[in-house]
This record gives sequence, C-alpha cells and structure tokens, in this order.
Amino acid sequence: MYMEINNLMFSYSNSSSKTVDNFSFSVEKGEVISMLGRSGSGKSTFLRLIAGLEMPSGGSFTLNGKKMFCEDTFIHPEKRGIGMVFQDYALFPHMSVEDNIIFGLPKMSRKEKIKRAGEVLELVELTGFEKRYPHQLSGGQQQRVALARAIAPEPELILLDEPFSNLDTDLQVKIRGDLRRILKKAKTTAIFVTHNQNDAHALADRIVKIKDGKIDKIGRPCDLLGVSPTEIPGMIEITYEELIGV
Amino acid sequence: MNKHLANVNGWTISAVLIIILLFSPNLSIVLGIFSPASDNWAHIKEFMLLKYIKTTLTLVFFTALFTISIGLSLAWLIAQYDFPLRNFMKWALILPLSIPPFIGAYTYHGIINYTGVIQKTLRNHFDITPNPAYFDIMNIPGAIFIYTLVLYPYVYMITRIFLSHQSASLIESARTLGKGPMEIFFRVVIPISRVSIIGGVSLVILEVLNDYGVVKYFGIQTFSTAIFQTWFGLGDLDSSIKLAASLMGIVIFILIIERLLRGGKQYSYSTTKVRPLPLVKLKGKKAVFATLYTVSIFSVAFLIPILQLIDWVILTFGKVPMEDVLLYTKNSITVAGLGAFLIIVFSLVVGNFGRLVKHKFAKVLPKLTVLGYSIPGVVVAVAVITTFITLDRFLAPFYQAIGIDSQLVLSVNLVMLISAYVIRFFAIGYNSIESGFDKIGTNFRDASRMLGANSLRTFFKIDVPMMKGAIISGFILVFVDILKEIPLTLILRPFNYDTLATKAFQYASDEKIMEASQASLLIVGVSTIAIFVFHKLLREEPK
Repeated sequence: MYMEINNLMFSYSNSSSKTVDNFSFSVEKGEVISMLGRSGSGKSTFLRLIAGLEMPSGGSFTLNGKKMFCEDTFIHPEKRGIGMVFQDYALFPHMSVEDNIIFGLPKMSRKEKIKRAGEVLELVELTGFEKRYPHQLSGGQQQRVALARAIAPEPELILLDEPFSNLDTDLQVKIRGDLRRILKKAKTTAIFVTHNQNDAHALADRIVKIKDGKIDKIGRPCDLLGVSPTEIPGMIEITYEELIGV
Repeated sequence: MNKHLANVNGWTISAVLIIILLFSPNLSIVLGIFSPASDNWAHIKEFMLLKYIKTTLTLVFFTALFTISIGLSLAWLIAQYDFPLRNFMKWALILPLSIPPFIGAYTYHGIINYTGVIQKTLRNHFDITPNPAYFDIMNIPGAIFIYTLVLYPYVYMITRIFLSHQSASLIESARTLGKGPMEIFFRVVIPISRVSIIGGVSLVILEVLNDYGVVKYFGIQTFSTAIFQTWFGLGDLDSSIKLAASLMGIVIFILIIERLLRGGKQYSYSTTKVRPLPLVKLKGKKAVFATLYTVSIFSVAFLIPILQLIDWVILTFGKVPMEDVLLYTKNSITVAGLGAFLIIVFSLVVGNFGRLVKHKFAKVLPKLTVLGYSIPGVVVAVAVITTFITLDRFLAPFYQAIGIDSQLVLSVNLVMLISAYVIRFFAIGYNSIESGFDKIGTNFRDASRMLGANSLRTFFKIDVPMMKGAIISGFILVFVDILKEIPLTLILRPFNYDTLATKAFQYASDEKIMEASQASLLIVGVSTIAIFVFHKLLREEPK
C-alpha cells in the first residue's frame, strides 16, 4: 500500500478524551480520500498529525515505504514531502503569487523555479497572476494559488483542510469540479477533510466517516451516501450534521 | 517518542538561557536580604527607613490621583466628543511622554525661579516682586506636579484606546435611560474603564518608583536617592542591597494590589467588531471649554517646557562645544541602539519559544522576564553590578591566563551597562513582539514548514517580514526609554562615558541649566519623532 496508518492516537493535554482514537486505514497511490465528520470530530487534528504539525501519542504512519512516525521515529513536517492547503489558505501576504509558489520549491535555478510556477499556475488557470499579491485576489483565486503552491514541489501526498469553507456556495460548486480535475491531472494522492457531504461526494474516491474521534465507516461515496445529492431534484446542499440529524 | 523531548531544540535552549540571564541578577537582591547587616543598615533602619517609605508613598499616591484625573478626563473628551483641534490633540497629548521627568523638573525650576521668565517679567514689566516662597517647586508637591505632567499620557493613552473600542450601545442605552453626560461619565465610563485605568496608573507608579532624576534634583529623600547615597556616599553595597530589597517589596505589594483591583481579569482590548462610539459634536461654550482644557494641558506639559528649552539653546549656542554634543549623541545612539537591538533579538527568540512550545512551562517562563520592568533602575543597577563583580572574580584566573592584569574587566565595560538595559527594558520589547506573534498566529509558519522550510528559514523568511510592524514599534519604544534613562546609565557607565541624558543631568545638577538644554532638546526631539513614527505605524497597521 502507498500509505498505511495503524492505530494512530492523539489527545490534547487539556482533554481527557482521545481526539483521534485508534485510526487505521490505507490509501492507494493517486487516490482522493475525504475525511467526513462534524465539527470537533477530530478530522482536522488527523490532518495535522499526518502533516507532522502535531505529535501522535501512539501508532504509526508510513508513506511510500518511508516511516513518518512510529515508536522511535518522528519526521518533521518540512522533511515529509507532504503538501497542505490550509483552511484560510495561509498565503504569505508579503510575497507575490509567484514568490509564494517558488518558496516551496527545492533547490533549482531561479529560471527553473519560475518555469515551474508558470506550469502550476497554468494548471489552476491563473496564468498572468504571477505578480499579484494575495490581497489583490478573490477568495476563489486565493484558494487556487494555495493549491498551486502545495502542488508545485510535487509532494507525495497533499492534504486539504476544509478547502471550500471560505467560499460562497456558487463558487464552491465550480471549484469542486476544478479541484478534482487538477488533482487527477497532477496524479496526486490527496486527503481532504470536510463537514459537507456534497464536497465529499463530488471529490472523493473513498470516504472515511469520523464520529467522536473514531472511524465510523469507510467506503465509496455511492455506498456511504447513496446517489449523489446533487442528482436528486430540488436537493439543497446539506452538511454532515444535517445528514446525521444533529 | 516523548512529546516534551521533541520540543527541546535550539529555540528552547536559547530561550531558557536568555530567561535565566535576565532573571538571575534579581535573585542576587533577594539573597542580599539574608547577608549580615552592617552598622549603617542599623542606622538606616532606625532613623531613615520609615521616612523613605512615607515620602515614596506620598509621591506615588498623589501622582496616581492626579494622573488618573487628567488622563481619564482627556481620554473621555477625545473618545466621545468632537471639538476644534481635537484631531491634533488626540496624538499631541501623548507627547509629554518624550520629556524625561528630570528635564521637566529642571526646566520648570528654570522657568519659575528668581531669574526665570515669570519672576523676571513680573519684576521688570509690572514692578511686582513676589515672595520667592510661592515659586519654590523643589519639594514634594513640586515633584508630584512634574510627575503628573510627564506621566499622565500613560493613563490617557491606554484609557482612550480602550474607550474608543467600546460599543456605542453602552453609552446610548445609558442615554435612553435618561442619564446626562456627567452621570454617564461617573456611572458608566469609569466603571467600564477600571481595568485600563489601573493598567495605565500602574505604569505611572512604576515610573515614579523608578525615578531618580527628579528627586535627586529637588533634594527629596526617597528609596532611589537613598540607595544611591548608601552605595556611593557610604560605600556600603550590602546596605544598598537591603534598601533595594525593601523597594522591591513595595513594588511587589503594589503589583499584588493591582491584580486584586483588576478583579482577576486580564487586561485586554476588546477585539470584537462592535460599533464604535460616534463622536458628539460640541458647540458654543462647551466646545471652547474642551479646546481650552486640552490646549492648556498640552501647553503646560509640553509646549511651555519645549519653548523654554529652545530659548535656552539659542542663548547658549556655542557654549557647549559642538564636538562634545556630537560625541554624547553618538554615545546615546550607540547604547540605545545596541540595547534595543539585543532586546528585540532576545524577545524574538523568547516569543517564538512561548508560541511554539506547547507546555505550561513555556507560557509561564517568559512572564518572569517582565519583572525587570517592574523593578526600579537603581535596584537593577545594584543587582547587575553585584552579578558582574561576582562574574569577574570567577573569571579572574582566566583573565590572568590571557595576560590581562586587571581583576575587573566586565564590570568596568559597556557590556555591563547594555546588560542592565536589556534586563530593565526587556518587557517593553517583549510585549510588542509577543503581540506581533499573536497577530500572525501559527498558520503561516505551519504552511512554510509544509513547503519544506525548516524553523530557521521560516523564522527569517516568514515570521520576521510579517512582524515588521511589531519589530519596529518594539525597537522604537525601547530606544526612546534607553535614551531617557538616568539611574542605570549614571551608575553603570564606564569611566568618562557620557550620554545626552547623563550630560544633561550633570549640567542641571551643577546649576548650569542653560547648558543642559542642548542635550535635553536633542533627547526630546528624537523621542518626539519616535512617538510620531510609532503613532503612524499603529494607525497604518492593517487590522
């Protein structure tokens, strides 16, 4: 398997219960996984654990044959080769779009870096925006720059934390389609967390449902959520909370 | 893998070392209490101590009372009303902060003494020779007057920012309940501003306890002057350590009272997006009164002393050789620049540690360093010199080994003075840097690390550029404070090393008031520019 997670555990020092309780599952190369759960279910914490931004209290995690975390190993986030798109995008405000993308590129000539930035900007359809600053972009454009920045170093895995939560509904539908196209075109393995079942349905190859820090179910979108909600006439966008009746 | 061990890295080690370095000299004062008492101490304890306590507390009490009255009334006028000159006064009323208290003291003494402009004008133009006793300010009420004039901006500034962040609905609901402006002021404004008033007045009190220049110039016996005299007059370092410890006791007592008065609430500005107070436009007599009141305070606290200083500079121009003035300026800028630079670098290391290490210990430890600002300069001086002499004794064999004859190396060097500045003013720089770190949060840092940048690259490429505003503000605040500083510099400077502040103080102490004006005006000028830049920075910083 390309990615293996075994008995992953984590709890915050100020909490008695486990935020991530015994997560185990595996992912194939190029697969897009959605972590679906209500607010506070532990899905964002799981993402931070995989990224290396938090240290698990137990378990192990292997990516492409390399141990990222186990009893005696902890690889720091900058050494993992994992990309991440943050919920608020975290674009560096003092850098242009091009410099934001170049920042994450490994050692290569400036010319090559600019070329690579151009390629990923073309992928996210933002050619011509190189010299703009984050505050000069719309929410949707910022989201695509954040994605381009994460993809540019060709990470072995890309993590997306609630990638649509800052966008208005119309834009969400459009970007959702774009995102799947970009991820598949870049052949990137991806895990994204969301509380919106429509996002999960539209984007994921498989869904991991999380409830109270535990994995509830794992399966294909059509098996877990039935037909695509958007295919039902008159169906409106509903969240996971609404789906499970909270 | 152990979670806490993973947190131990270069940052943690550097931060803990800095904190220990900043905190340990203060321990020497606490330990000094237990050393055997000398005859001098027995005398001081029996005949002098009570007097020092009484005088110090009188100065503290009345200065606090008057700075609250003036600071709060100005803050309310500016936050709530619109009147002619309001926009200028809004920031001009902060400017008295640029005048070091001892410069205010000798300038006012110069204005109203027998040969000063007031008595001279009365004698020469109105043929009135008033009783000189009416014009004596070199006493306790005079010191309170000077402190009030130069320190009220602390209360004004903090309370005004607090009030302008308050929701208009509070005041409006009081109005709809039939309350008039006076009743609203006493029953709504004062209670809601309590925490910020206490925050501001605590700074005022700490400044009064720290002051050496005014009380020395006016010949008033307080802890600061007593510590100085016991040390240099009687050559009794042990007794001065005991006096310093007593003063530290008073400071700790006041800090505890402050905590109790705050009612356990942490002071913080309201950050929620509330509708701010709309300005009420004053008309007629009320507008005239508001303008007159603010202009009078500004004139008495800033304009008049500055005009007097300018007049003296014109009269004495050339008396103090220009090369001397340039040398003092260079020295002042060197020590203030070096001190501020080190404080900002240390604050960045400690601040980053406090932000990144998720352990209670990492949150509490940096707070210890803030104590340095609460401890008066004379006490810090005693602590630092004791530590450096011990260090020199310890290093003596090493000095011999490398061929240095002297037993004292570090304690007669600029290193000691700069270290003392760092201990004393660390809190000022640290507060600015900490709020900068709070503002940017950890997301950008996480993003940078996810893009393959290590801690150091992230720090220089992401954190530092994003915190430019906080870094510059912190640097300016510390720079100005060091520029104005008196007791530490007087005690710890190397032989024959003068700064603008020490030279101005010496001239004034030798009754060469006019000669002191050039150095004083330079200090005030640089501080005023710094305050202006700081004000602009704060205004332009994106919310």
